[in-house]
Amino acid sequence: MLSAMLRRSAFSYYIVLTVATLGACERRGGCTTAGCGTLIDAAVVEPPTLLPPSTEDIVASDIAEQLFLKLADVGMSTNTVGDEDFQPLLAQRWEWDGPLTLVFHIDPRARWQDGQRVTAADVEFTFNAYNDSAVASPFRPKLQRIEKVTQRDSLTAVFRFREKYPEMFYDAVYHMRILPAHLLRSVPREQWRTAPFGRQPVGDGPYRFVRWQAAQSIELVADTTFFLGRPGIRRLIWRFTPSLPVAVQQVIADQADIREQLVTPDNVERAKAAKQLAIYPFRGNVYTFLSFNQRAPGDTSKPHPLFGDRDVRRALTMAVDRASLVKSTLGDLGQVPPGPISALVGIWAPDIRQLPYDTAQAARLLSLHGWRDHDGDGIRDKDGQPLAFHILVPSSSGLRKQYARLLQEQFRAIGVRAEIDELEGSVVAQRTGSGNYDTAILSRSNDPSPGSGITQSWTLAGFGGSNFGRYYNPEFERIVQRAISAPKRDQARTLWRYALETINADAPGIFLYALANVGAVHKRVENVQFRPDSWAALLRTWRIPPDRLIDRDRVER
Amino acid sequence: MTGGVWLLRRLVASVAIVFAVITFIFILIHLAPGKPCSENLDPRVCTLLTRQFGLDQPIAVQYWRYLVELAHGNLGMSFSLRRPVWDALVETVPFTLQLAGAALVFDFLLGLGLGIYQAARVNRLPDLVLGNATLFIYSLPTFWLAPILLLVFGEKLGWFPVGGASDPIFCPQVDSLYCVADRLWHLVLPATTLGVVGAAGTARFQRAAMLEVASQDYVRTARAKGVPERQIVLRHQLRNALLSFITRFGLAFPFLLTGAVLVETIFAWPGMGRLAFDAILTRDYPVVTASALIASTVVVAGNLLADILLGFADPRLRVHAAADADVVTA
Repeated sequence: MLSAMLRRSAFSYYIVLTVATLGACERRGGCTTAGCGTLIDAAVVEPPTLLPPSTEDIVASDIAEQLFLKLADVGMSTNTVGDEDFQPLLAQRWEWDGPLTLVFHIDPRARWQDGQRVTAADVEFTFNAYNDSAVASPFRPKLQRIEKVTQRDSLTAVFRFREKYPEMFYDAVYHMRILPAHLLRSVPREQWRTAPFGRQPVGDGPYRFVRWQAAQSIELVADTTFFLGRPGIRRLIWRFTPSLPVAVQQVIADQADIREQLVTPDNVERAKAAKQLAIYPFRGNVYTFLSFNQRAPGDTSKPHPLFGDRDVRRALTMAVDRASLVKSTLGDLGQVPPGPISALVGIWAPDIRQLPYDTAQAARLLSLHGWRDHDGDGIRDKDGQPLAFHILVPSSSGLRKQYARLLQEQFRAIGVRAEIDELEGSVVAQRTGSGNYDTAILSRSNDPSPGSGITQSWTLAGFGGSNFGRYYNPEFERIVQRAISAPKRDQARTLWRYALETINADAPGIFLYALANVGAVHKRVENVQFRPDSWAALLRTWRIPPDRLIDRDRVER
Repeated sequence: MTGGVWLLRRLVASVAIVFAVITFIFILIHLAPGKPCSENLDPRVCTLLTRQFGLDQPIAVQYWRYLVELAHGNLGMSFSLRRPVWDALVETVPFTLQLAGAALVFDFLLGLGLGIYQAARVNRLPDLVLGNATLFIYSLPTFWLAPILLLVFGEKLGWFPVGGASDPIFCPQVDSLYCVADRLWHLVLPATTLGVVGAAGTARFQRAAMLEVASQDYVRTARAKGVPERQIVLRHQLRNALLSFITRFGLAFPFLLTGAVLVETIFAWPGMGRLAFDAILTRDYPVVTASALIASTVVVAGNLLADILLGFADPRLRVHAAADADVVTA
């Protein structure tokens, strides 16, 4: 009986093998003209929802670029001052009606994918939704200078600002994607985060939503009636893979077409070696720093016993050879940021004054403040207290963990003991958010404007928010406000430079590295453009020539 | 009748165990540090969300609410997925069952076969070679084996897909024979990773069990009576050695479920293990508790099934169980 069973299982094995072999063969489809093509993006995060105001998840944003239009968008220059570099999208044109009033004329050809017209009522509805605390939109603080949005007629939306400043246009168009009021008005705002619309959206963009396979993929298909022109590639698929190395392997093994951020030098080298891939470097939008908590851990009413002292922070900053650390860990993929900004931000300039790497001066400064090695154990101390602290670092980030160890060594060289706490991201978030830490290695992403990022992370406006270390310098606040309000670009640039030099001198953190982005895309794709602030912003203009189509491009379903 | 009482007792005990597990997990995950917000989310937005999710309430209140909802068949709303937990489980559990089922088949067919083969050739070259090979494989950590298989058979040789459960273009849904094959093709590497280590363990287990039975009087008697060796192995040795095999079957469920967490994450397999792992990292309490509920139910049911199978395989165990039940009811 058993032998019969074994014989049967051997037979089943052959069946499975045959069927599996069939499965390994790709089928040929029928689409062979321009406008065919399928691109698979190897994404490492699955978004929780595609409803734009409810998430700032980067993959959700990439997908939303294809589904929901903004009124206008920044150009390749990513200049955010004035309106001359912006490209019209949903708004056909705009004009200023006085210093505080901006009028948008919506393109009459624009339609929601259920056939309804896009109207000024949608714009007004969108602004009110983004500003509703029940929606808890992360973009809400960025819209505070807009007083209200109204509709003059069905295709004219009017923005009224509270004050005049150079980035008024940017604030009006960049943070909001216009939403279909007729589909969302009936959904209670406190339920937007979980609304079914977020998993089956109806947009007005170049692509339509097709399906969401949970934990697997999201598929979009080109809207052939899109009013700004049919997209060059018919189908887009985001395939979710929780591990970056596996996502990179998928692209190298030709099982995906795009990996927009390779992240490590090793991944870049492997992608370069894959003959079907083209490599696209572009400016990164993230910087990483060691945050000094200036208030006592868990008690924001008292200064931190170490980092409340500006000179201790300065000494520790001067003890770190940031240039060598970047070179040894990231090679050409990273730079030392000239302050709390990423390379995306237009005010980036390598010659902005920073504290030098000078261990002798760092040691002198600490000694001057009484931090000497009185007991000969190699660690400086004062009043019996050693110069020691903890570095908090998320265990999920290999690069930041590596940096924590390198910083530990550099601090040890000047007689400072740093202990590393590697904890889960959720625990790091809780401890930094509540101010319960000494130092933490944190990353911040910037949008193209320096104003919103610096204000949220480094000024009084960020207390209780993203200014975890509670850095405050009235002089810095004043310069930032002046820079934000500066009427001319050159004037703003000079003021921003001064602001960065001021914060660098205060050393509220050690600004460690700013990653350069490198993307990999299959060589059959033409007209590939990565806009630095959003690699997927121009996806609708990419195309695959008919003679380069491969099996997965031709498939019809 | 006494068998029915025994079964009823086991079922009541099983429900109590599952209840204890979810209570323990609920309390533990709520007491663990961390909160369901990402590192870069503005703490003010996080506070708003925490209030919306009811996490500002005392843990006893949250637990009571959870039990009331559970009694109504509602597993809650996932914080990170922004959808009902039930919907997420309905989509992911079948994938874990496919993976665990395939791994179980791989584990037991290969392990059983190797164990029998080795026992029949004890202390000869094939037994020594296979014994060392199974020991080597048994000591391979899954977190090492999985990336190696991906690198060699996925990236370098291109024989199998690098992660995922199906081809997103040709087979977004399994609705044809071609797509069944595609699913099997995607299943090969993760199921091999999960099953091969277990198979090595099963082989060693089965070999030992077969050898233990080989020294029994009835085997010697059968051999003295001139019964063919093949028949001795299959009918006398194997059947009696199956008891330990069934015990191992019951124990395999927890191993497969815990192993699935890592394997599903590395191979991007959209199962419950990956869901639970992500939920733990993001402090998605409803998903963690629901995953524990499902996992503990599967483990308890697996052990119950193993006990029932043991009763069928060995009548002496049925007698003992019945006697135990009589003692308790008396």
